[in-house]
Amino acid sequence: MNRRTVIKNLALIIGGAAILPSCMQEKGKASIGLKNINIDADQEKLIGDMAETIIPKTTTPGAKDLQLHLFVLKMVDDCCTKKDQQDFITGMGQFTDLVKKQNNRSFSDCDAKQREEILLAIDKDRKDPKSTTYPPELKTFYNLVKGQTVNGYTTSKYFMTKQVVYELVPGRYNAFYPVKKQAV
Amino acid sequence: MANLNIDSVKERTFDAIVIGSGMSGGWAAKEFTDKGYKTLILERGRDVKHIKDYPTTNMYPWEFEHRGEMPMAVQEANPVVNRCYAFHEDAAHFFVKDKEHPYIQDKPFDWIRGYQVGGKSLLWARQTQRWSDFDFEGPARDGFAVDWPIRYADIAPWYSYVEKFAGISGNKDGLAELPDGEFLPAFPLNSVEQYFSKHVKSKYNRHVISARCAHLSKPNQIHLDQGRAQCQERILCQRGCPFGGYFSANASTIPWALKSGNLTLRPHSVVQSIIYDESKGKATGVRIIDTNTKEAIEYYAKVIFVNAAAMNTNLVLLNSTSHRFPNGLGNDSGVLGKYVAFHNYSAHMSAEYDGLLEWTTDGRNPAGGGYIPRFRNLHKQETGFLRGYAAGFSAYRRQNRSWDGVGSSLKENLAKNDLGPWSVGSHMMGETIPKEASYVKLDDKLKDDWGVPLLKISMDYDDNDAKMKKDYIEQLTEMFTSAGFTNIKAESDHRAPGLDIHEMGGARMGNDPKTSILNKWNQMHAVNNVFVTDGACMTSTSCQNPSLTYMALTARAVDHAVSEMKKGNIA
Repeated sequence: MNRRTVIKNLALIIGGAAILPSCMQEKGKASIGLKNINIDADQEKLIGDMAETIIPKTTTPGAKDLQLHLFVLKMVDDCCTKKDQQDFITGMGQFTDLVKKQNNRSFSDCDAKQREEILLAIDKDRKDPKSTTYPPELKTFYNLVKGQTVNGYTTSKYFMTKQVVYELVPGRYNAFYPVKKQAV
Repeated sequence: MANLNIDSVKERTFDAIVIGSGMSGGWAAKEFTDKGYKTLILERGRDVKHIKDYPTTNMYPWEFEHRGEMPMAVQEANPVVNRCYAFHEDAAHFFVKDKEHPYIQDKPFDWIRGYQVGGKSLLWARQTQRWSDFDFEGPARDGFAVDWPIRYADIAPWYSYVEKFAGISGNKDGLAELPDGEFLPAFPLNSVEQYFSKHVKSKYNRHVISARCAHLSKPNQIHLDQGRAQCQERILCQRGCPFGGYFSANASTIPWALKSGNLTLRPHSVVQSIIYDESKGKATGVRIIDTNTKEAIEYYAKVIFVNAAAMNTNLVLLNSTSHRFPNGLGNDSGVLGKYVAFHNYSAHMSAEYDGLLEWTTDGRNPAGGGYIPRFRNLHKQETGFLRGYAAGFSAYRRQNRSWDGVGSSLKENLAKNDLGPWSVGSHMMGETIPKEASYVKLDDKLKDDWGVPLLKISMDYDDNDAKMKKDYIEQLTEMFTSAGFTNIKAESDHRAPGLDIHEMGGARMGNDPKTSILNKWNQMHAVNNVFVTDGACMTSTSCQNPSLTYMALTARAVDHAVSEMKKGNIA
């Protein structure tokens, strides 16, 4: 990553942090206002750690840098049915218990590799819709966190300006455009 | 006081009143004002000024709070409008919400409305095809509805007239069933669309052409004079286009008419009824309610054009009762509100194609791809159902982006630009048969906030529609299969009528006053200074997108009204 990109990414991160009055935060409550679901600070941290495991910081920004966990919470709060919201909360409890049972520690206390393994197992299990390895609420919870983290990531300003560039105004339509070999 | 009153009446008197400011109303206003007539255009909703009132038009995807998705509370409160394909965060402000303007569904009907200056012309899908005599002769040949009182030759010059001003892109394809027009350059078919076009031409003698659409692919002086610019291929049309790249009343006819100095635009004006003067034997004006002040006001004019959009035009006419017309204005025949119909959009197809992988596309196609003109029952009846369908056809390649897994490998996959195979898609656009049993009526008791009875709507699919849908799926499946497409899937949805947003009829044109409301000039048989030139006038629906025909009928009807005014037949 060149210096310019680093500076731009840093600006994005700082910009993201500035809208979050985290130091003013009342202890134990989520850092954003939610209308339909109750999320405490620990649960927010769990979603944050899950999102960071799904989209980790590498040489490019990760979920926490882009505040994707807050996007997940906003989408669940605003755009889900009551049933999905209930399942989200129930599934989050099931997930928390399962992780504790299997690893003798909370998700947040697991290291990055363990976190990835835990989520990968659920992710792979989704391929078989009939699987009963995980309770349905847990699956709904995971699907919402995963889906909205990726949705938030691929529609973020960072992604749409730096990874797969979105053009508001193409000003062209080439009906026959040769496919060039991708330079890797 | 008496003088004041006279002045007040004078201030409320115009040469022409146009009810509705959308697709056809905008044209009526433009034509009257161009010819020097003082015109009042009444719009029930708010004003939407070109560019200034397009709040989302330059927003990036990440600037939308929910990235375009409508919050669940809004979706649940609006089951009807939420089913419309364009009801998203970027354009929701141009749609009527369910609870704002209730109506009664005697049968399920998704009534999609845009109550604002420009109406649904801001939101339309911009597809524009001419009708031919295969369409105008349909009812007479196949024995339904009544004979159209016009033929292609009557309307052809008016198609040309409106096309030049609106700006229609397309190719001269030389098809009798879809006559050529005054075209700006077409948006070309891509490699797979062109391949499919050649294939079905050689194998079936059917056609896949560049979809004709109201986009300025290469503006002429007349478009620049309107303040419009070349289409920028943004495909964010439903937000309102700051370039005026597609035709809307807001970008084109309304500002043009205002520039003449002859137009008075009055938003927030719900028309309650048209005033009929029994002694004069004509309509003298309209009664409106100002939705801000709740004040009832009368406006007067020599001639009245009703362009409130098909269903609401019926509502206004049905609610305009008098001793002479107890069942609605001009309704001697009793057919007012009957023979309403729609378009059958209830099936679509998808498939994949593994060929031509050396090609993709770059940018976006405002035309949306290809158009398959009607090929069924064209020259003669040849199937077990009446009439036929047109179809959209498009091909596109998506980025192969796997959402599987988590972590850095997922991140890498999401950033990949590898192209997948070609995806192809099609949707049917079927003609439906207007029937006496299909109707809109006024409710006996329930009224809206302005004292206007609520509209009851009843229309449904019939056996003919079911057979036609089956045929569309069979024919497209065969065409797709023989073209070598794979993974072919047909989907039939159970949408209610209305979601096609092509509701038509109720005040149909016809030769016989005993069976129709309007004559060949869109003029009421019984009231010669009232004209209806929106979807309500349609005798049959054919399967073309109807807006271009409304525009042409409107310009033609204004020309006739003006010549009748000059002769003193309308005074």
